[in-house]
Order: sequence, then structure tokens, then C-alpha cells
Amino acid sequence: MKKDKVKLVKKVYKGSRRTFKIGSLQSIITLSFTSITLLAMIFIGIAFYSTFSENAEKNAASSMQQIMNQATINLENYLHSMIEITNLIQNKISTTSLGNLEEIDDILSLTLEIREDIVSVSIYTNNGNLLLTTPKYQFDNSYVVTQQNWFLKSLKNPSAYIFQPPHVQRHFEDKRPWVISLNRGITTDVSNIQQHFITNVDMNFSVIEQLCSDVVLGQRGYIYIVDSSGNIIYHPQQQLIYAGLKKENIEETLKKEPGSYLDTYQGEKRITTVMNIEYANWTMVGISFLDEIIQNRRNLNALIFIILLFGIVFIVIASIFISFKISQPIKRLENQMNKVERGDFNIDNLEIKGEDEVKQLTKAFNLMIVRIKQLMSQIISEQEAKRKSEIKALQAQINPHFLYNTLDSIIWMNENKKYDGVSEMTAALAKLFRISLSKGNETISICDEIEHARSYLIIQKIRYKNKFDYKINLPNNICQYKTVKLIIQPIIENAIYHGINKIQETGHIIINVVKEDAFIKFEISDNGYGITKENIEKIMNKESTSHYSSGVGLKNVNERIKLSYGNEYGIKIDSEFEVGTTVSIKVPLVTE
Amino acid sequence: MVLFKKSIVFLLALSIFFSLTGCNKNALSTRENEYLIKVIVKKSNHDFWTVVKMGTEAAGKEFNVTIDFDGPTDEEDIDGQIRMVEAAIDNKVDALILAASDFLRLVPSVKRAKQANIPVIIIDSTIDSDIMDSFIGTDNVDGGNKLGESLVSVVGSSCNIVVVNFVKGAASAKEREVGLLSFLNNYPDVKILETVYCNSDEVLATQFAKSLIIKYPQLDAFVCLNAYATVGVARGVEEQSKIGEISIIGFDSIPEEISYLEKNVIQSLVVQNPFSMGYLGVKYAIAALNNEPVPKVIKTAFKEINKENMYLPENQQLVFPFVE
Repeated sequence: MKKDKVKLVKKVYKGSRRTFKIGSLQSIITLSFTSITLLAMIFIGIAFYSTFSENAEKNAASSMQQIMNQATINLENYLHSMIEITNLIQNKISTTSLGNLEEIDDILSLTLEIREDIVSVSIYTNNGNLLLTTPKYQFDNSYVVTQQNWFLKSLKNPSAYIFQPPHVQRHFEDKRPWVISLNRGITTDVSNIQQHFITNVDMNFSVIEQLCSDVVLGQRGYIYIVDSSGNIIYHPQQQLIYAGLKKENIEETLKKEPGSYLDTYQGEKRITTVMNIEYANWTMVGISFLDEIIQNRRNLNALIFIILLFGIVFIVIASIFISFKISQPIKRLENQMNKVERGDFNIDNLEIKGEDEVKQLTKAFNLMIVRIKQLMSQIISEQEAKRKSEIKALQAQINPHFLYNTLDSIIWMNENKKYDGVSEMTAALAKLFRISLSKGNETISICDEIEHARSYLIIQKIRYKNKFDYKINLPNNICQYKTVKLIIQPIIENAIYHGINKIQETGHIIINVVKEDAFIKFEISDNGYGITKENIEKIMNKESTSHYSSGVGLKNVNERIKLSYGNEYGIKIDSEFEVGTTVSIKVPLVTE
Repeated sequence: MVLFKKSIVFLLALSIFFSLTGCNKNALSTRENEYLIKVIVKKSNHDFWTVVKMGTEAAGKEFNVTIDFDGPTDEEDIDGQIRMVEAAIDNKVDALILAASDFLRLVPSVKRAKQANIPVIIIDSTIDSDIMDSFIGTDNVDGGNKLGESLVSVVGSSCNIVVVNFVKGAASAKEREVGLLSFLNNYPDVKILETVYCNSDEVLATQFAKSLIIKYPQLDAFVCLNAYATVGVARGVEEQSKIGEISIIGFDSIPEEISYLEKNVIQSLVVQNPFSMGYLGVKYAIAALNNEPVPKVIKTAFKEINKENMYLPENQQLVFPFVE
């Protein structure tokens, strides 16, 4: 398993190296392009990140303050509109000296019709008598105004605007709405006697709630409003606060100056922004959760990361693509050159395209290849010619002594009236020459080659007065195959001169032709003197110039076969001293 | 070169597409798991349960879950409530909050809900089982105690009373009575003349009150064990012009009771915190859904409210539910 893995890794590595070699033009372009852009992107990313995240808390706090500032202004405007109502009452009362309560009543009724947020407006005298109330509900007589805190407070500070925190209003029978009230004392001269009145404006939560719920501080952030004694005026979860299910650190917050603070409450880190609301002496508190800011920062990180990642992927792909585009023609050239390097000139002319430089290169390369091809074919044809002439020269070297001796033998036989021998020998000689010439062809059929050998054997047998006999085993259906000519005769010549000639008894020469699947083997065996190993070596290297040789030596036969058919073919000599020699000739199975 | 340009355009489009889809995933993730929590109470249109509903809705808003509030129109309609619970189970709600109309008969339905892997939080009135995830409510025995305490402080330790209970068989009814009786055991001079069941019917309670006032001239006080009984008895006492003569010690704080309290018809009210019940019910249902530990029993507090303390800042929020 492990080996396989290692193998696989190596394979992949090798593969990648092949396609993406370090130091190649493509990789240099890709790497430099990628790294430069990457550096730029990382730099921008870091700059981006640091501007946005380092000041995240400060930014959050300042945006909180901005948002809350707006909310405060809206709220103050709203409270001011309430104060305006009491001012209106004050003006009307002081200008008319209570003379025209009906007019005030009309104005208030109209106001209440327009303003859905105002629940009721009441005016009490300083001894607790109801002077005027709008709308005209049944006053709850069990409600003793003079015992109420707000009434006493307003009496004490007649000109102050006092806002009461949310409470159940109980001025009227069967009406128990939750309201926020504004109380104000009014002092005016009635018949030259200073009189005090207390106005009470009850408003519901609708406007305040709307103003505050419009404020969005992140996903979970919110604002709430408390009065100076810590009573909640508005809280998005007011019910929960009243039910005791939720708490705020109001006391602590009230001690703080307006501004933003980091604090931890109920295990959560928050940014608390405190703001004062004029007119009512209220405090608006904004809560924003730090983990959201951190979350935002994380999201930002993720975003930057994703952008970087895509950027990197994109740049890598793009730069690989671009570098491929640039280096591809050069690579094509390189591939072709590699082929040439391996010795394969069998390539087409490259298409001349791409950049100017590459075009020039391609042109030059093509020219070079053409020239090399020309030179090579020239060399090949020259070599061929040389080889042919060499072979011809070799084949032409028929020993003249053999001819003289044969002719001598014929003359001798003729004189002794051995005419059978004369005709046999002459016929054999004629055949020998006919076959060896064979119209100048280099190759002849196997059968002709054997006939040639047979003719030679016939001549020699007569000449040597039956000092040896011979046998040729030729299988059928072999005549269609061809071979380089005159390869067996020199072997027989050697067998006679150096083998059989040196022994006393009758010599035997056996020629076996064996057809194998892909080649033909000639085995020429004799029972002659034998050759020592050193001599085999010598014979194979011996020049054919020896005066007693038939001219075409073993070495030449071997060389010719190898020249014609390749190195796997040729001659092999097996010999045992004083036992005999077998020479095997291997030629391919060819029909031409 | 055309191919080159095309592929660059394609790559750009691809990267923009991926970055956009990536962003969308982030944006959507906040609203993914929104639970549907079914709340089934004893009676849908009643002030006490309206405040419970407000509590569930406040929690629903806070925890971002959907609240489906329901209940039979008649508190006596136990079969109706069982049907509602069964329907909720069939509809595969995420969690169930139930105020059981009957101590025994709701048990199989709750068991079925638990088998269907639906967390069940029982509020106010429990069932004869501890199979539910949690019970949130007032300890009714304590409530009964408080009624007794209130009676003794208002009327004194020697008096004749009638107990007006609501539904025979309801756990809360039984427990409140047990609490009351165990407290009154310490006061041998408090005589219970009779105990009646008004079946949570105000009209019936009024009839009872009227007839009992006539039946028992020595009657000092009514002790009423729920809001219907209290309102009904208060009407009866008012109609019989016995205001102040016969005291009423009541339960809960619906507006009509408050108005009677202001009019001195009712002397004292033992008040629960229905808002908390609803809120905590949802809160712990979500905890159970999230496999967080949920306390088996959560007790919400009682408070004694009378004319003198009802407008104190800490009490007015309990007596007059704050409607946003």
C-alpha cells in the first residue's frame, strides 16, 4: 500500500514536472505573474481589512451615536409638541383669565381628534378640582388628585415640565390605559388674584415606541429610555421588564456621562451609548452587542478571504492560460526539436504562426530541418552506393586458381578420355558461374544458392578424386525464399581445404537447410581436422587476401549477411579438434 | 484570441457567481430554523389567557419562533382541547405548550405527542403524569394557602365562608382547594359553610352567590378559586347590595375583577403571573427543542393585591397587563 502511494506521488510529481517544469518559460511567467498579483491582492486585502476592522468598535459606537442622535432629536421634537400643548393652555388661560374655557375645550378636542397619541388632557385647580377634561369621560371620584405624587410635585414646581414614567391612568371610571404623562403648573391672574392650575397631558406609547423601534442597532441591538430615577419609559421588551423576566443595568448606566462605553452585562460584551433627552430629563440608552461586531468582522474576514481565494484561483488560471499562450509555440518548437534530438527527422514543416520572434525561430528551424534531411539522405545514398560496390567487389573475387585448377582437371580428364567427368565438371562449372553472376542480382533463391554449392561440390569431388562425399538435405517449398548469394560455397571451400584435406580417411560434408519461423539456417558440417577456438577467431577476422583461399572468406560472408540483414544474422562456427566442424549460417526468411 | 477573451469572460462570470452565492448563503442563515410552537390553553378568548398569549408572543418575537395560539371557546370543552392537541401532533408542530383542561383526560394525548418527539411544556394546569418536559405554573397549593392568608387578614380568624371552586377534576382546582383547606386548618374558627363548583361559568357563579347569600345570612366571605368564580360572585354580591358586608377573596386579575376591587366589592385578589407563564413556556420549549436542560418544574410567583397596593409601581404592571 505504502509503496503504491509513494509510486503514485512520484508519478504525479513526475507528471506535473513534465507539464510544468520549474525553469520553463511558462512556469516563470505564471509564477511571476501570480506572485506579483497575489502580493498586490494581499496588500489590498490587508489594507481593506485594517481600515474596516481595527476601528470596528469605534465605528460602531460613532454610528450608534449618529443613529441615536437622530432618534433623540425626533423624540425631543415629540416631547416639545406635548409641551406646546401645555403652553397653549397656559396662553389661553392667561389671556382669557379663565373667561373662555369653552374655547380651550374646543381647541383640545380638536387636538385630540388629530393626535391619536394623546389619550386625554385634564386641567385641575390647585385644590384638586377638575376644571376641564378632554375627552369627556366620567371622572373617577375615588381618585383623589391632591394625594397623588405628580400633583404635589407640580404644585411645588409650578413652572416645570414634569414627565411621569409609564403608569396606569386612573382619572376616569373604567378607563385604565397605560400612559406617559406630562404635568405642568400654570400660574395666572384671575381677577387680580394669582391662581395655580395643574395641567395633565396623557400620551400613549405609540409615537415613542415608533420612534424608538425605528432605531436599528445591528441584529440584536436596541435602545431604551429611562427617566432620571431609573423608571423605564420605553424598552422593546417592556413587558418582560415589568414581568421581571428581563433586567437592565439602569442604575449603573444612569451614573454615566453621555457617550459610548464598553461594558459587560449578563455575560455579554456590549457597547452602551448614553444620551440625554432634553425637556423630560430622560436618558436614551443604546445597546449594541460586541459579538455582532465581531461577527461582522468575521464576515468581513470571510468575504476578504473568499475574494482573495477566488482572486488567486482566477489569477492562477489566467496566468497559466496567458503563459501557455505565450510559451505554446516555443513549446511546440521544443517538442519538435526533442524529436530531432532523438533522431526522428520524420517531421512535417511547422506551421509558421505566433509572435514575430517565434515565427522567425520556426522559419529558421524548418530551414535547418530541411537542410539536415537533405544532408542525411545524401549520406545515406552515398553509403548505400559504397556498400553495394563493396559487395560487388567481394562477390567478384572468385579465386582464379580455382578456375585454373578446374580447367586443368577438365583438360586432364579429356586427355584421359574420361569424358563423363569432363561433361559433368564442365556443366557444373557453367552452372557455378551462371548462378554466381545471376544477372548482377545481389540475392538469389535458396535453391539456386544450394545448386551453386552443389556445383562446387561436384567439381571439387572430381578434382579430389572422391576424397570426400557429400549430402544435401533441402526441404520442400523453400525455393521462394531468397538469400544473399554465394554464402555457402566459401564455407565448403574452407571445409575442404582446411578440414578434409588434412585427414586420411574419407571426408563427409553434410549440408542441412532448416526453415524456422522467421529465419533459415544452413548447417554445413564436416568431419575434418577441426579448428581451435583461437583459430575460429582468426578466421572470422582474416582478410580474404590469403593466396590459397577461394577469395571470399568466412569473414566476408559474415559481413555481407550482416550488411544486408542486420546484426542478428550471420555465421556461427562450432568445431572440435580432430572431430569436425559445423558452420551455421542464419539468414532471414525473405522472399526478395 | 477570441477563445482567450471568451474564457476570461467565462472565468469572471464564474467567480462573480460563486462570490454571490457565497454571500447569499451567509445572508439567509439567520432565518433558517424558525420553529412553530403550538400553544393550546383552556379558553381562547379570556383575559387571563390573553396575557398568557402576550407572554408567548413576546418570547416568540425575542427568539424568532412562530406562535400559534389556540384554545376551545369553552373551558369545559375537554374533548375540544384533546382534538386540538391531536391535530397539533398530526400537523407535526415543533413544540407544544398546553394548559390542560383536565388532569386525567389529556394524559394520552400528551403521551402521544412525546412519542412523536414533540416537546411538551405544560403551563398553569398540569396532568396526571410527569411525561412532559416541564411544568410551568403557580404552585396551586401555595395559591390556596395565599387565599387563606388573605381571608384571615381581611376578614379575621373567625368567620363563615363559602368556597366557590371552578371545575371538578381540574388539577389546579383541586390543588388550590387543598392549599386553602390546609391553611385554614390552623384557624378552627373559620367555618366553611359550603363548597360549590361553578364550572368556570360566571353566570352560574352569580346564581350560586345570590342563593348562598340568602341561604346563609351569617356568611362573612366568599373565597373564589379562579377569575370566573370571582367575577360571578362579585356580580352576585353587588346585585344583592352586600358590598362591604360580605367580603370576596378572589383569584387572578382580569379587568372586571380590578374594577370590582376598586369598587370595594372585592377585598383581595391572589394574582398569578400569566405573562411569565406564557413567556417561560415558549422559552423552555425552545430549550427543549435545542436539547438544552429544562427544569422539570418552574414555579411562578403569587401576589396579593388589594385596593391599597394595586397602584404601586411594582403591582400596577401585574394588575394591568402592559399592552404595547
